[in-house]
Amino acid sequence: MAAVLPREINPASIGQLAGHGKISAAGFLGVLVQLALLTLVFRQFQIENAGFLRLWLLTVAGFAIHAFLPLRYRLPFFLGLSLAGILLVLGVFHGVTLIVLGLLLIAICHLPLSFAARVALLLFVVAVLAAQRAQWLPAPWSEAIWPILGSMFMFRLIVYLYDLRHDTAPVSPTRALSYFFMLPNVCFPLFPVVDYKTFRRNYFDDDAYRIYQVGIDWMVRGIVHLILYRIVYYYFSLSPAEVHGPGDLAQYLVSNFLLYLRVSGTFHLIVGMLYLFGFRLPETHHRYLLASSFTDFWRRINIYWKDFMLKVFYYPAYFRLRRFGNTTALVLATLFVFLMTWLLHAYQWFWLRGTLLFVWQDILFWTVLGVLVVVNSLWEAKRGRQRALGKAPSWRGFSTLTLKIAGMFCFICVLWSFWTSESIFEWFSLWKVVGENFANDVGIVPVILAAVLVGGLSGGRAAAGGEPKPGKRKPARLRGLAITVASLLILLVLGIESVYTHFGPTVASVIQPLRSGRLSRLDTAALERGYYENLLQVNRFNSQLWEVYSKRPANWLDIEGGGLKRHVDGFVQVELIPAFVSSTNYGIISTNRWGMRDQDYELQRPADTYRVALLGPSNVMGWGVGDGETFEALLESRLNRESNGTPFAKYEILNFGVPGYQPPQQLAALDKALAFDPTAVFYVATGRESSRAARYLVEVVKKRIEIPYPALQAVVAKAVLDPGMDEATALRRIAPFHAEILTAVYQGIAEQCRSRGIVPVWIFLPQVRQGRWQEETPEMLRIAQAAGFVMVDLGDIYKGVDVASIRLAEWDHHPNQRGHELIAARLYHEFHAKRDVLLPSSKTAR
Amino acid sequence: MSDDINQAVKAFILSEFLPGEDPDELKDDTPLITGGVLDSIATLKLVLFIEERYGVTFEAHEVDPEHMDTTADIVRLVCAKRLRDPA
Repeated sequence: MAAVLPREINPASIGQLAGHGKISAAGFLGVLVQLALLTLVFRQFQIENAGFLRLWLLTVAGFAIHAFLPLRYRLPFFLGLSLAGILLVLGVFHGVTLIVLGLLLIAICHLPLSFAARVALLLFVVAVLAAQRAQWLPAPWSEAIWPILGSMFMFRLIVYLYDLRHDTAPVSPTRALSYFFMLPNVCFPLFPVVDYKTFRRNYFDDDAYRIYQVGIDWMVRGIVHLILYRIVYYYFSLSPAEVHGPGDLAQYLVSNFLLYLRVSGTFHLIVGMLYLFGFRLPETHHRYLLASSFTDFWRRINIYWKDFMLKVFYYPAYFRLRRFGNTTALVLATLFVFLMTWLLHAYQWFWLRGTLLFVWQDILFWTVLGVLVVVNSLWEAKRGRQRALGKAPSWRGFSTLTLKIAGMFCFICVLWSFWTSESIFEWFSLWKVVGENFANDVGIVPVILAAVLVGGLSGGRAAAGGEPKPGKRKPARLRGLAITVASLLILLVLGIESVYTHFGPTVASVIQPLRSGRLSRLDTAALERGYYENLLQVNRFNSQLWEVYSKRPANWLDIEGGGLKRHVDGFVQVELIPAFVSSTNYGIISTNRWGMRDQDYELQRPADTYRVALLGPSNVMGWGVGDGETFEALLESRLNRESNGTPFAKYEILNFGVPGYQPPQQLAALDKALAFDPTAVFYVATGRESSRAARYLVEVVKKRIEIPYPALQAVVAKAVLDPGMDEATALRRIAPFHAEILTAVYQGIAEQCRSRGIVPVWIFLPQVRQGRWQEETPEMLRIAQAAGFVMVDLGDIYKGVDVASIRLAEWDHHPNQRGHELIAARLYHEFHAKRDVLLPSSKTAR
Repeated sequence: MSDDINQAVKAFILSEFLPGEDPDELKDDTPLITGGVLDSIATLKLVLFIEERYGVTFEAHEVDPEHMDTTADIVRLVCAKRLRDPA
């Protein structure tokens, strides 16, 4: 059967229906005032990034013109603004490249060929682009454009082709280009799957002022979601290793699910921006925390995705399968939707990150949710679902709804925790701990149940009274406006430093971090680990870390001709390859015959030479700077240049830094360094030493590697670690011994030095990052001091310096060339300030 | 004819999905899909009802808000189908 003609939609008819998109001067002024307040809030709370603020200012300026243009010029203007936004955020070269690639893809959709031929050609071009994204083929443009190009086309091309195939509405190039290059997209790689028909159909189909006001309301709601997300992300999220009882588990489960607020907040922001240009799109999320069944959850969370799945997969599958019976068709079509959801999430991950995502948690999560939705659908198909247009729910219905909401919230939290866990074993270990400690924390259970019921009760009230009532008008105009303006003003005032500091240091220290989008302490630790290992935790869109990773080039600091390190037997596991030379994006990197990232030295210390053995991780080795640019090389060169003969004829600093080395590995590095007869050993600590040391011990135990240090062996024995244990359990067991581990390492180093007459020096070199990573620093300093090191605290070295100007990149917090210069200068100063303890009393002394 | 379809569709929706609801609340322009009255299962139930009653056949791409968001849309779609493919 041929397609039935849809209602014809064109700008002229829209104009007649919706008052030509006109807005009164007073209405316009009201909108503009709210946009100004939004701008201040965006700036105050550093919503998204600097690129977003630029795009937002362009949006506001564009809105002011757009609102007064005749309707027929508005869509072309929106397109122009969207293209300008791309150039503004990505720069001219990247922006033009992205636009040209996009035009190519859109042009293929409209070639004068059969539909099948166009699809085949498109698949071929997409396959070539995918090969370039995966770096199997070279791409003559920067990797920076992939996430945005992927975000603009990966799903919208599917929707667009589907509508081209079935729709008889005339093709409008301006509308098609506006759809793909949609203004906010350039700043948001994670973008809702906007439906093309809806994008076209709902354009200025209501009073212009009302559309704009809804857009602003949603943006305010988006900001609130994002700030709530930050509260959860900074203050409530836990790692599995930090879960010790039912209370911790409840916090872990709930906070894990609530991290999704970032996605819902961002989507509200995006759609709100589109409203400013007349696109009256549906809600992207509808009170998803208040879902009362599995199907209800699926309908409320990421509504655009659900609609995309229904349109492109569910209905076509159902209509093809219904010859086998309606129930069979319903079951198979629903399962097909969940299969495609899983596959398309992996596909989305590929375009945003450039890697494939196939993990068991993903497969099981979508399978379980799919099966539950099928069962729920069959139940609803048989028994029906309660709906209402205007009638109030009965007391019994309300009570049932409350219990359902509370139960569903708990269940989704559990399911979500499984999805986001690093491994299935880790997830099971959470429940084991609760079982073990249940008796101790049993008092928390009634509290948790009460909290869930109260949440469900208020949710039940909101859901019962707040379901969309078709045909009902929105709340009174003035009331809605007052709520929005009041919310903006409260946010604005709360974000003023002199206001929140007025409430004391506790309140100030809570609010201050909420004003910027930094990585949480857990993600900061994950980022550190991510320099050296492939992080599984970054495979979900909830935390901010994936976004940082999406910008990181796949070959970031790759070293030509294989790695810089090689695997060796024994406790240390890896070392730098001797006599290695390679080039990186940041210059030549080479090692000497001893496997040090340094110039060549003799094994025997030359006479009248002050020799330092420098131990540390990648910051010391000089990750991200060329040979001769490390702070070690700069300091050595300056000492020889400016301190020559006072009192030593020569200074040598031997760089034993190895990327990824954890504190216990420095014991092995020290063994190697002692063979070079140093005068002093400089141990560089960069933060979070005790937890990293503990994690390393867990790693070697799991790998059954022998620990050659008795003090560390004793800790492992006390913590009762065994190789079969999952990582979270092992980390939990070893947590009480963090200080003991670090003490063993530091005392081991200091005592070996002192017994040989070597000066042990402990240097604290802060990481080049903001956010929470210093929580272990005071204890670390105390342990180092107690071990008898000469202390050099560089804690304030980056004070007053823009962190972005001295680190390698947003995704790599190692110091860059300028950072190394700063460190070298400060160490030179410290060296002279502490010369009495650092330099032996006579040249002949050791 | 269109009045008959409209009444039948409304009666079906009220009895199947909105039991106990005041019939006056369901108007010709009440949004059904975008308003949350018709979810995917309910929409398919309605499609089956219309197909059986009026001898028309729906296609997958027609099951969307553009064609089925209000009873007025549904009537328009069914009439167009009956005009094109008279039973």
